Amino acid sequence: MNASPVRAENLAKHFGRTKALDGCSFELPEGSVTALVGPNGAGKSTLLSLVAGLAKPTRGEITVHGTAVRGRMHPDVSLLTQKRPLYDQFTVRELMRAGAAMNDRWSAERADEVLDLLAGVDKDAKVRTLSAGARTQVAIALALGRLPKVLLLDEPLSDLDPLARDETLRIVMTDVAERGTTVLLSSHLLTDLGDVCDHLLLLDEGRVQVAGEIEEILGDHGVVVGPAGLDLDTDGTVVDSSHTSRQTTALVRGGSAPEGFQSEHPDLEALVMGYLRASRTRRLARR
Amino acid sequence: MTWVVWRQQRPVFITLVAGLVVSVAAVLLWRAATVADVQAGNLADCVLRGLDACRGKAADEFQDAWFDKLHIAQGTVLAAPAVIGVFVGAPLFAREFEQGTHTLAFTQSVSRTRWMVTKFLVAGLPALAVVLVYQLVVHSWLDVAGELGPLATGKFYFTTFESQGVSPIAYTLFAYTLGMVAGAVFKRTLVAMTLTLAVFIAARVLISGLRESMITPTRVVTDDLDGRTVLDGRPLVLESGYLDAAGAVVADPTPKMNCVGRGDAQGIVDWETCYRENGLAQRYSDVIPADQATALHLLEGAVFAGFAVLFVLGSVWAVRRQV
Repeated sequence: MNASPVRAENLAKHFGRTKALDGCSFELPEGSVTALVGPNGAGKSTLLSLVAGLAKPTRGEITVHGTAVRGRMHPDVSLLTQKRPLYDQFTVRELMRAGAAMNDRWSAERADEVLDLLAGVDKDAKVRTLSAGARTQVAIALALGRLPKVLLLDEPLSDLDPLARDETLRIVMTDVAERGTTVLLSSHLLTDLGDVCDHLLLLDEGRVQVAGEIEEILGDHGVVVGPAGLDLDTDGTVVDSSHTSRQTTALVRGGSAPEGFQSEHPDLEALVMGYLRASRTRRLARR
Repeated sequence: MTWVVWRQQRPVFITLVAGLVVSVAAVLLWRAATVADVQAGNLADCVLRGLDACRGKAADEFQDAWFDKLHIAQGTVLAAPAVIGVFVGAPLFAREFEQGTHTLAFTQSVSRTRWMVTKFLVAGLPALAVVLVYQLVVHSWLDVAGELGPLATGKFYFTTFESQGVSPIAYTLFAYTLGMVAGAVFKRTLVAMTLTLAVFIAARVLISGLRESMITPTRVVTDDLDGRTVLDGRPLVLESGYLDAAGAVVADPTPKMNCVGRGDAQGIVDWETCYRENGLAQRYSDVIPADQATALHLLEGAVFAGFAVLFVLGSVWAVRRQV
């Protein structure tokens, strides 16, 4: 069976009247590294916890390698949550023992391998004494010890210094290279994501705005710049535009460059920024 | 999984055991001193038959020295369930939810049910054992003082009743599960602790007021109208009064107890004759006999255990809907 590692169909999650997610459909290809981006409150963490099975969707369905996820952790999925909850009073070694005890499939070698990477984590240290970087490394060791086929990372890089960010990404990318793990990671650090991600999933207000291969998406968008006052006449969709007294800049999806405008493809950061700005404008307009 | 929970609970467990060791040591020391006093005062007989059997300086001194201490010891047995509920039950889930560590467990392959059951048992069983051991040790001290101590007031006196039999365990089970459900629902340790203490005290007061009505009382009838006869084994007297010649309860016996002017030459009243002439034929007492104490322990325990079952179900519901 050649089922997609992760497939979401018409996924919705409502908390009372709040629609954290609504009508989300997407598919992650095998071995892809997907950046999950969107403004704060777009539903990124909700989406990740639904895929992991921590929460049940209000509507719709998620399948991981063809089997439906419903209300409990899929054995092939590992989730690193944003707060990286660990038992603070345990030593690192004890925490790994806990990992072995709480999982049907567990590789102590794999977990140790991750802990020994980079500067290495002192296995007899209490978890609460670890630095933010080492704590993340321990959390990733716990996640990878499950030998997941799908790795979900919620803000894995937040509150890490640049060196630790780089090293954390290296650990994850090594796993992708060696085991073909499919990764979905949410982050605000677009520059870091650009180097490692090949797919993009852009959420806003609980809906998928853009999904697909980053190369293709960038190729499908243009940043057009023209003199102020000139009509932005394009057959594509204007995602976001800004005007100064001298020029008009716009992010356009599809179509060709309008008359009198210069067009070039955006980089990942410019693309995401364009969408985030548009989202903010929409929300402000509604107030 | 058992190991994981045990490792998490280790500080609580160590504190409990340390507290138990210190308390038991203190109780055993006092008990030894009590035994020595019984021997020194030659009070072995009084311990068996009570103060009435042996008026004397030694017995009074013994009571001055030990009665209050023994009473306080019973009080600590009453307090033990609250301690377990507040410090073991309430933080059980609340602390996990507060620190977010429940997601650590939820993102591994153990099911939530297994996680809950393991936590419930691994944290709860040692706590119940600690209470049971403490109850038995305190009781062995009370037995030494026997009828010179608080046991003289009978099996139904509240400090004695509630620190004996299955009652402490039933209260502990109630307090522990109450703390657990409060923690699981409110997700704040401090809130859960406060609520547990308040609800536990309220429930204990309320149910101890109701427990006398859980057993149909036995009516004891006597011809001794003076009411000086001591009832066997000091039962719990719920109601007493007079019966008329037909055997019906006299609703208001006060006017019939008026014996003014019935005195003989020396002014001594023959109360019995006077009462009988006034139409009071017999005296009755509605009692719960001493040999039904165990049944009452079980009945009240069942009520607390019933609540405990509800609390467990509530916890399961709250943990299942937790994200």
